[in-house]
Amino acid sequence: MSIIGQSVPRLDALGKVTGQAQYPGDISLPNQAYLKILFAGRPHAVIRSIDTSQAEALPGVIAVFTAKDMPVNEYGLIMPDQPVLCGPGSAKPYTDHVRFEGDQVALVVAESEEIATRGRDLIRVVYEDLPILSDPVQAMQPESPRLHPERDSNVFCHYRIRKGDVEAAFAAADVIIEGEYRTPYQEHAFLQPEAGVSYMDEQGRVTVIVAGQWTHEDQEQIAHALGLPLEQVRVIYPAIGGAFGGREDMSVQIVLALAAWRLAQRGTPRPVKIVWSREESIVGHHKRHPYLIRAKWGARRDGKLLAAQMELIADAGGYAYTSTKVLGNATLMCTGPYEIPNVMVDSYAVYTNNVVTGAFRGFGGPQAAFAAETQINRLAQALGLDPVEIRLKNALQEGSLLSVGTPLPKGVSITQVIEQARAASLKWAAEPPPGAPSLRRGVGYAAAFKNVGFSFGAPEQCTAAVTLYGGREIERAVVAHAGADCGQGAHTVMAQMAAEALHLPLERIEMVVSDTAQTSNSGSASASRLTFMAGNSIKGACEQALQKWQAEERPAAATYQYRPPKTTPYDPQTGRAEPNFAYGYVAQAVLLDVDVETGRIFLRQVICADDVGRAVNPQQVQGQIEGAVVQASGYAILENFITQDGRIRTDKLSTYLIPTILDTPEQVESLILEYADPIGPWGARGMGEMPFLPLTPAIIAAVHEATGVWFHEFPLTPERVLRALKP
Amino acid sequence: MIRNTHPTLPEFEYIRPQSVGEACDFLTRHAADARPFLGGTDVFVRMRDGVLNPKYLVDVKALPGMQEIRFDPQSGLTIGAAVNMNRVIAAAETREHYPLLADACRSVASYQLRSRATVVGNICNASPAGDTLGACLAFNGVLHIQSSQGVRQELLSNFFRGPGKTTLQTGEIAAALFLPLPHAGSQGVYIKLGRNKLSDLSLVGVTALGYPDPGAPSGYRFRLILASVAPTPLIAKQAEDCLAAQPVTPASIQEAARLASEACAPIDDVRGSARYRKQMVKNLSARALTSVWEKLNRRGQNDISSD
Repeated sequence: MSIIGQSVPRLDALGKVTGQAQYPGDISLPNQAYLKILFAGRPHAVIRSIDTSQAEALPGVIAVFTAKDMPVNEYGLIMPDQPVLCGPGSAKPYTDHVRFEGDQVALVVAESEEIATRGRDLIRVVYEDLPILSDPVQAMQPESPRLHPERDSNVFCHYRIRKGDVEAAFAAADVIIEGEYRTPYQEHAFLQPEAGVSYMDEQGRVTVIVAGQWTHEDQEQIAHALGLPLEQVRVIYPAIGGAFGGREDMSVQIVLALAAWRLAQRGTPRPVKIVWSREESIVGHHKRHPYLIRAKWGARRDGKLLAAQMELIADAGGYAYTSTKVLGNATLMCTGPYEIPNVMVDSYAVYTNNVVTGAFRGFGGPQAAFAAETQINRLAQALGLDPVEIRLKNALQEGSLLSVGTPLPKGVSITQVIEQARAASLKWAAEPPPGAPSLRRGVGYAAAFKNVGFSFGAPEQCTAAVTLYGGREIERAVVAHAGADCGQGAHTVMAQMAAEALHLPLERIEMVVSDTAQTSNSGSASASRLTFMAGNSIKGACEQALQKWQAEERPAAATYQYRPPKTTPYDPQTGRAEPNFAYGYVAQAVLLDVDVETGRIFLRQVICADDVGRAVNPQQVQGQIEGAVVQASGYAILENFITQDGRIRTDKLSTYLIPTILDTPEQVESLILEYADPIGPWGARGMGEMPFLPLTPAIIAAVHEATGVWFHEFPLTPERVLRALKP
Repeated sequence: MIRNTHPTLPEFEYIRPQSVGEACDFLTRHAADARPFLGGTDVFVRMRDGVLNPKYLVDVKALPGMQEIRFDPQSGLTIGAAVNMNRVIAAAETREHYPLLADACRSVASYQLRSRATVVGNICNASPAGDTLGACLAFNGVLHIQSSQGVRQELLSNFFRGPGKTTLQTGEIAAALFLPLPHAGSQGVYIKLGRNKLSDLSLVGVTALGYPDPGAPSGYRFRLILASVAPTPLIAKQAEDCLAAQPVTPASIQEAARLASEACAPIDDVRGSARYRKQMVKNLSARALTSVWEKLNRRGQNDISSD
């Protein structure tokens, strides 16, 4: 029997349930020192001076590091626009500028966390405050001061799509729907705040044990900032307490490396440990981008879409992070999983002094889907059409051209997921429960598509190494893979795929994971790519190792790099591109009640039809669907991240609430559909993000059905709902 | 600015006195840097956040009588200060005679927290959002306060002076809460509106209690107490009087709810606006009073049918 498709227990289950699993904060090394970071705590300023003398004089303080200790004081996944430490003394200009509250200014290493904290508070920094730009639309204006003085604008990315003739199409349309949509921040709120330990390993490498999403990218960022060759930096991931995109950028990685490396240089090598508090985590790492989306869609009376014109403005905060990539996705997905003959999109990523924004499950998809799906739901209403029928009429098919002028890769299943979500929802009762006269019931539908893997020409590959040991038969197979298991079960799925490819029982698979000294570059645990990419790399490595085994090599070892079909970037004028090599497709139906006396929404039922290609481990797939739905319900209804003049006002989990178990939908029905991806391993597609995308617009549609009000912004807090019901 | 400095608690000295006298003495001698604590569910969080930085935490849970819950059919219920909320909820006497208090306790945080949190601690913390304060006020609760001078009794309606402020003096320890026997036929409801369904502080909390009273023109007395809409728990006196003075009807309940909304003075904060809170006081007061009224009527019918 194939082990693909079996819900085998997770390799990490026992350790996590019993508390044996070591997360970064659990790891302590002999003689370790403690690191505390001084954050800027202000949105925009120039640092005139930093006086560390009092901190250094405090007994128990071992060292204080500032910008002048940073060999190459810059980092950034897409462009190195952020100083590792803000302050004077770097060769690079403008690294003395603070551009958001969470910028890091100084590091204190001490004998204890208490002392490090006291030392931090003794550092005297002279700031010259600058005007705060907190509105991205204002920041776009040419006369606005520039956050990065070396650039000529705060707009650092602009994509254009020009397909057909939208003006002519609007003139021919029977109905036109326009909307201005705003989406909120979202905090990742992973269970485990940032933490880690650094030390010099036995081979003299600066080593950082930390939770991240891409060991080799962390390694590169550290090596770049420290001015070291890659092989002198080592990154190891132990158990990771959730990520959701929030660990893609650097948080404690570089500063931990710097501290251990500088202490060693001073002849006093010691391990260095840091654990961020929740407040440090909320201020210190990026959020999901708020978007302003202006939409204008035209359709024929029969529901056929004729044109879509979109403008997207993403608030990037002080630095780029992955904003350009997030914007690329949103630009493609803002016209929905529909074939529209005439499309015009202009999208912008803009620097502001707000908290930085970047990767978060869905990666631009949720914002785009909210606008696109609300547009099509409103079109259906305006035309008196069924919201499912109008989708089926326009859904992308095999061979359909995307807005960027090229067809999708084969295996398009948006029609199937929409039909199945609808069919499963027909059993729902039309009336709210009796005895609650203030409740109004509504049902809503939405659909979405999402890329699997890196897009728009970004280099994409994944490497696995497999070694087979034994004599006559294979006794043990060691699979070395860097891919990060952030809690989604990736390592278990990798082991299942290796067992399948090698025709071995799972017990004979031994995983060596997430250590740059022992594994090759896998790419990130993001973009719903790891099952797909790791699977193909493991499959290739296993096949080659088996060939060597058959050729009597003992042990038989093979390393295989999987490269998917090439993608291409947006054409700067027309947007024409071959954006992605694979997609996942998803549709949802939601049933909810709105209490018109309090504005509260009770999310009763969610049906999620998700084409995952092949569910390698169905239980984990179901967990991803349910987790994404709960996280998206928080985004849509509850999570209210508040900033004011660039300052975060919700820096605790008591002020920024995420759904508790009692706030989850009463039922989430996962319809796991398996229409094979032609190039996916065993047909598997990625699926980690897809169930997040349609939920908000489906909820918006259901609230409309319940109350007659269309919401153009969320979260749908009781207060916002009530205000709209009773102006 | 990130204020909190500790993923965990800062250092402090843990004091566990053996007698009330010893505890009061210690608290008096270290007035500036000692705090008594019960469950610690508020104190620990504030210490972690750097808001409180006491040198000594004085654990008064082991003092005589603090762990007792005692019901006297002639007078009422005495809840020792260290009795946690889960014990209050589980006690047969609470369920039978003071179910409103059990409901209010159930709305506090999570089960785990309620294994530490105490009703008396909730009272001494004097947060306007305190979920159990309304029920204790509705039952005319009395706090037993010990000091080196002996025991004094304080009506809860006189105890709260502002957010976190009470009449408790340095060296005094709240030892127990006494709830007199409820009026015959009492029915109560607590409605908590939080942003989520578990663990949030109340945006608005409405405690309503009603009982038959032949002395009142309407034949009933109501208590209506509001959380999170004033510096202290707010007794909506005009609303209470309104329902005593005229027949209880949907219209008079709406009138009482409107009076309650007018009486409160909420603030804007990250959890909600003052405007929304006022609206919610009106809607939820109406809902709570209606629910109590229905319970009172149902009970009346049951009595008749059982005769």
